[in-house]
Amino acid sequence: MTSPGTLALSTRGLRKSYGSRLALDGLDLSVPTGVVYGFLGPNGAGKTTTMRLLTGLLHPDAGAIELLGRPFRRGDRQRLFEVGALVESPSFYPYLSGRANLRSLAAAGAAVPRGRIEELLELVGLRERANDKVSGYSLGMKQRLGIAGALLSDPRLLLLDEPANGLDPAGIVAMRETLRRLAAAGKTVFVSSHLLAEVQVLADVVGIIAAGRLVREGTLDSLLGDQGVVRVRVPAEQLGPARSTLESIAPVEATEAPAAGSDADRDRWLTVHVPPSRAAEVNRRLAEASIFASGLESGTELEQLFLELTGGGASIEGVMQGIGTPDAGGPVA
Amino acid sequence: MRIFTNGLRKLVGRPVSFVSVGLLVGLLGLIVIASATVAQRSESATAAQRALAMVTFPGAYDLILSFMLGLGGLVAVIYGAAIAGSEWGWGTLKNAVARGESRTRYVLATFAAIAVMVAVGLAITFVLGIAIALVGATIAGVSTSGLSDADALARLPALAARGWFSVVEQAALGFAIATLTRSQLAGIGAGIAFYFGEGFASLFLPDIVKYMPFAVARAAVDTGATGGGPGAGGLTEALAPDTALLLVAAWLVGSLVVAVGFTERAEITG
Repeated sequence: MTSPGTLALSTRGLRKSYGSRLALDGLDLSVPTGVVYGFLGPNGAGKTTTMRLLTGLLHPDAGAIELLGRPFRRGDRQRLFEVGALVESPSFYPYLSGRANLRSLAAAGAAVPRGRIEELLELVGLRERANDKVSGYSLGMKQRLGIAGALLSDPRLLLLDEPANGLDPAGIVAMRETLRRLAAAGKTVFVSSHLLAEVQVLADVVGIIAAGRLVREGTLDSLLGDQGVVRVRVPAEQLGPARSTLESIAPVEATEAPAAGSDADRDRWLTVHVPPSRAAEVNRRLAEASIFASGLESGTELEQLFLELTGGGASIEGVMQGIGTPDAGGPVA
Repeated sequence: MRIFTNGLRKLVGRPVSFVSVGLLVGLLGLIVIASATVAQRSESATAAQRALAMVTFPGAYDLILSFMLGLGGLVAVIYGAAIAGSEWGWGTLKNAVARGESRTRYVLATFAAIAVMVAVGLAITFVLGIAIALVGATIAGVSTSGLSDADALARLPALAARGWFSVVEQAALGFAIATLTRSQLAGIGAGIAFYFGEGFASLFLPDIVKYMPFAVARAAVDTGATGGGPGAGGLTEALAPDTALLLVAAWLVGSLVVAVGFTERAEITG
């Protein structure tokens, strides 16, 4: 067993090219045991290549991989007996039923305990449709079957590529709870995703990859420590005094566009770069200056960090509308 | 063993298995019934006798077997290509590899299941072919007394075994081609092109073509009784059956080595 505090998965200087195109350029990952690790990156950054390398589908040009504390090299296929994976889209025999597909999958690799298939069909909510052919499944059902397939051998390390893909909101919540439960039980869950909001609520540790290199890795708290914002809506005529007041706390940006609503032509938003936990302090400072905010929002911005690190760009407005996680939303004055 | 039994289970439920046997039986049935009908209506005694050969026992045994092994070779190429190609196209090989399964074992076990299915398919086709020939004999009013001919029945097991081995070799060829192309469609297309291309090449390069996989498969079952089946290269001087059988084994092993070698080294994407 890998003891707590050790790494369930690590890569050092992982390099992979497809012809002249460099997909991974010295990737260094450190995934602690017993966490949900969110692996983020824009399209073409190398996420799927990493997944394929970790599951032995591809062989690295250079670098090293360690799975569950031991080196994983070409020929070390049995190391994957303790790893469950869903790489890219779920793949099945379309003419077989969901249950028969899981049986087929169970015949390969590590032995699967009796009763495990039924248990997993129940877990992913496919028991009622288990005898239907997979060709008649929706994308979400295939995805759930794929997750069941990844869990077949009760793996200590779970590698999931876009697991929320195609799932309905209830399915996403159920999947999130399942993954959190697995991590709580000491298993390690490595999730590649482009759904930043999903990763933000699911992952303990996040790694961001861009152009084949890891550009940031750490716990969500440490990464988002300086990414919080609090936004306040104030009357247009009080914009100047409000800004002066709030600048004593942190840098402030005024949003040019008027706020929506009946007071749209009179109100303006100010964005204060402080953690959401300081929203009350922002409100109090304004009140002490006799400025009463008509709206207050706060959030931590994984997307903002992501875009900064991966070379993208987005206005704070877009970020707030896109993925902001309100901690203290709604009008306060 | 788990992979092999699972492979069999998958093939039993797979539509292409039924379609392959159905195609062989259907065509065989059409030919037999057409022969019986032609014989019944023919005014020429020679033509009628020739048409009746398909429903007259014990000669019908050899003709049915000959038909099965000839067309069966083409069907086997398609079958082998369909199975191997789908493992790549559907991503199911990817699943097995990601679970830590040995690529070599997976490929060989999958092919072993195909070989067993070929045996079952040929047996079903042969039995149904005999039944259809009996119906044809009844239509044409031909005696079926030769059905229990001891000599013919004694010859059948060895011929069937050679035939099965030859058909399996052709399935292996389709299997290897589809593995190289990583696609069902490309594998089937290339397999069919290879099948007919070899026949066409026999017009120009008969001394080379007689060593090629389909020619040796035909020669291996051409023990004088079957005539090598439909599609036999008429311009190619066939090898002796036992020599051909050795070459069939060589092509079979070679095809599997190529399939295994490629799969072992392949970078699995998609």
